[in-house]
Amino acid sequence: MAEVKVKVQPPDADPVEIENRIIELCHQFPHGITDQVIQNEMPHIEAQQRAVAINRLLSMGQLDLLRSNTGLLYRIKDSQNAGKMKGSDNQEKLVYQIIEDAGNKGIWSRDIRYKSNLPLTEINKILKNLESKKLIKAVKSVAASKKKVYMLYNLQPDRSVTGGAWYSDQDFESEFVEVLNQQCFKFLQSKVELSMEDIETILNTLIYDGKVEMTIIAAKEGTVGSVDGHMKLYRAVNPILLPTGLVRAPCGLCPVFDDCHEGGEISPSNCIYMTEWLEF
Amino acid sequence: MTQAEIKLCSLLLQEHFGEIVEKIGAHLIRTGSQPLRVIAHDTGTSVDQVKKALCVLIQHNLVIYQVHKRGVVEYEAQCSRVLRMLRYPRYIYTTKTLYSDTGELIVEELLLNGKMTMSAVVKKVADRLTETMEDGKTMDYAEVSNTFVRLADTHFVQRCPLVPDSENLDTGPPPPAPTLVIHEKDMYLIPKLTLIGKGKRRRSSDEDAAGEPRAKKRKHTDDRQPIPDDGIYWQINLDRFHQHFRDQAIVSAVANRMDQTSSEIVRTMLRMSEVTTPSSAPFTQPLSSNEIFRSLPVGYNISKQVLDQYLTLLADDPLEFVGKSGDSGGGMYVINLHKALASLATATLESVVQERFGSRCARIFRLVLQKKHLEQKQVEDFAMIPAKEAKDMLYKMLSENFISLQEIPKTPDHAPSRTFYLYTVNVLSAARMLLHRCYKSIANLIERRQFETKENKRLLEKSQRVEAIIASMQATGAEEVQLQEIEEMITAPERQQLETLKRNVNKLDASEIQVDETIFLLESYIESTMKRP
Repeated sequence: MAEVKVKVQPPDADPVEIENRIIELCHQFPHGITDQVIQNEMPHIEAQQRAVAINRLLSMGQLDLLRSNTGLLYRIKDSQNAGKMKGSDNQEKLVYQIIEDAGNKGIWSRDIRYKSNLPLTEINKILKNLESKKLIKAVKSVAASKKKVYMLYNLQPDRSVTGGAWYSDQDFESEFVEVLNQQCFKFLQSKVELSMEDIETILNTLIYDGKVEMTIIAAKEGTVGSVDGHMKLYRAVNPILLPTGLVRAPCGLCPVFDDCHEGGEISPSNCIYMTEWLEF
Repeated sequence: MTQAEIKLCSLLLQEHFGEIVEKIGAHLIRTGSQPLRVIAHDTGTSVDQVKKALCVLIQHNLVIYQVHKRGVVEYEAQCSRVLRMLRYPRYIYTTKTLYSDTGELIVEELLLNGKMTMSAVVKKVADRLTETMEDGKTMDYAEVSNTFVRLADTHFVQRCPLVPDSENLDTGPPPPAPTLVIHEKDMYLIPKLTLIGKGKRRRSSDEDAAGEPRAKKRKHTDDRQPIPDDGIYWQINLDRFHQHFRDQAIVSAVANRMDQTSSEIVRTMLRMSEVTTPSSAPFTQPLSSNEIFRSLPVGYNISKQVLDQYLTLLADDPLEFVGKSGDSGGGMYVINLHKALASLATATLESVVQERFGSRCARIFRLVLQKKHLEQKQVEDFAMIPAKEAKDMLYKMLSENFISLQEIPKTPDHAPSRTFYLYTVNVLSAARMLLHRCYKSIANLIERRQFETKENKRLLEKSQRVEAIIASMQATGAEEVQLQEIEEMITAPERQQLETLKRNVNKLDASEIQVDETIFLLESYIESTMKRP
């Protein structure tokens, strides 16, 4: 009977067991555990085994590696996300992380490259992959129409990217603006004084049209629409001057005014605008 | 003087006074002040004719003279005064609204004759009014002179400067031209006259029947009566009329922006400040709320409280026409004249931009006006206009000089890629530009009117002849049939043409007056801005 040297592994030295223990620990401490804590829990495990287990968990996406001022922290990752990332490799995870950090403003592909130090070809492949897995999406920025920013699939793009309510599909909805312009004006005409908040920008355009004026009054905190103790009130007004005399004559609106002089090709005597205007 | 102004002045002089006066007047405007001989030499007209032309111009206050050193008298034309001739119809109409037909005719006579004595004016106006009255009625001189006195009291007419009474008459030879002076307190002093009489109707039938002797006799009678106020001449006080127009513009602006009552309050305040505030002051004198309450027109029964509320509302309005300057006497209020004129001038600019370029351009214009300086991007954001269109509109307005660019360099070498370009509106220079355009527009309108008249000269002469024939035939008692025959000399299409011509000429005339309104607002604003310290 040959002596088979069996290395008796302690019951929980099994790699899977180690991983499960570590995961349990992480669940216990949702804010993250340090290496020290794991060591304390499982003192009989060698450092190398520990490291292997942790790496496996990280690559599987079940643990998050964070750096704190004391050292490294391992945190349990959201199980939902963990499921998603199964099958992706490290690079993709890295890129996904970067995009996630950008929040709802999104991040440009060049910036992703800088942050991850990956070559352009790799990045493009990864982005295509992630897009097909419906984890991220590309949103065209309204500032520079050639730029595409990437953000997580389920996030709403920020106002600065899409331009807010006035843009739909990256085109300026000028008709929408016009219609709202008219509607607000009609609305304000029928009421005497009213405070509005959300469509302040449209109201400002009405002010610039000269149809509406605004005053700021001191209002008590807590009244509807007050901001920092002020309230903006809008009122429809009439213009103070009727169309002025100059524009009632054809010369006021004439496009060739500077070329017109007596005896020339264009002169008051043969002015076609005047002839038309006189026949009116 | 700009080319446009000189052209307009020469057109006006020609239309009102004829070729010779126009030649002399235009020459003086172009070259500044010159002595008599130089004028005669440069224009190639005889000294005699130049003298007559200068007489006409001086009589109408269009040319002034000054004695320089070495006894040379130089004549200077006043271009701005010539341009006022456009506004004569407005002056006459205003007087009609304030003082009815009598006042209207007084002002008309004074404008047509430049300077007149009071008795001459009264007599002429009474005669004219008697013409229009029914048979048997005449206009009494007293009524006309009453209106005249009222006009003088409200400063619409004033005395012309006189030759001063110098005690020492024999110190050397008299100067070549007297220097005319008038004291402030004498300017509206009515001479002590008793004008008794009635207007005389010009009886055309009597004249024709009696023929020569009667006419001669009447003239002789007139000459024998000495004129009691000889040497005291009256003229129209244009500044007072301008003040009135300005008040009117402010009141109508308030009425448009708020309601009738507030405009009445503002009118009352302006009326109270008429005599206390000089016309070029930026603010009126402070008026207390109690005073205003007492001076409100009789028909307005609003309580003191309501008046106070209105005054507070006016003072708080973003227009800033009325300001509160203190609390004594129930609240002291002033009218901010300069601000009012500035608002009216900017409203004029805005309306021109709106009509010429469209309402979106007007939106951008008002935006830049309010925010003073804006970058291209900011303009697009605030105005909510797509970038391409906004850029297009800004450049169009820039090329027409309504908007200007302010460069702020980031680096000392002013590289265009490293410079901020801010759009801004300089109201004063835009107003001047628009004013110049107004002058040229009126000149164009006048030229077109003259052209239209010249085109149809033959037809006009024919119709005048026919009218003269009809009138004379009526006077000699012709029959209906004969009259009809003569009338048919003008065919139907010719009649149509005449109608069209009359309508066109009226339209062009009305348009001149409308453009003059714009000129008035812009000129008042520019004057008020230049006078500020």
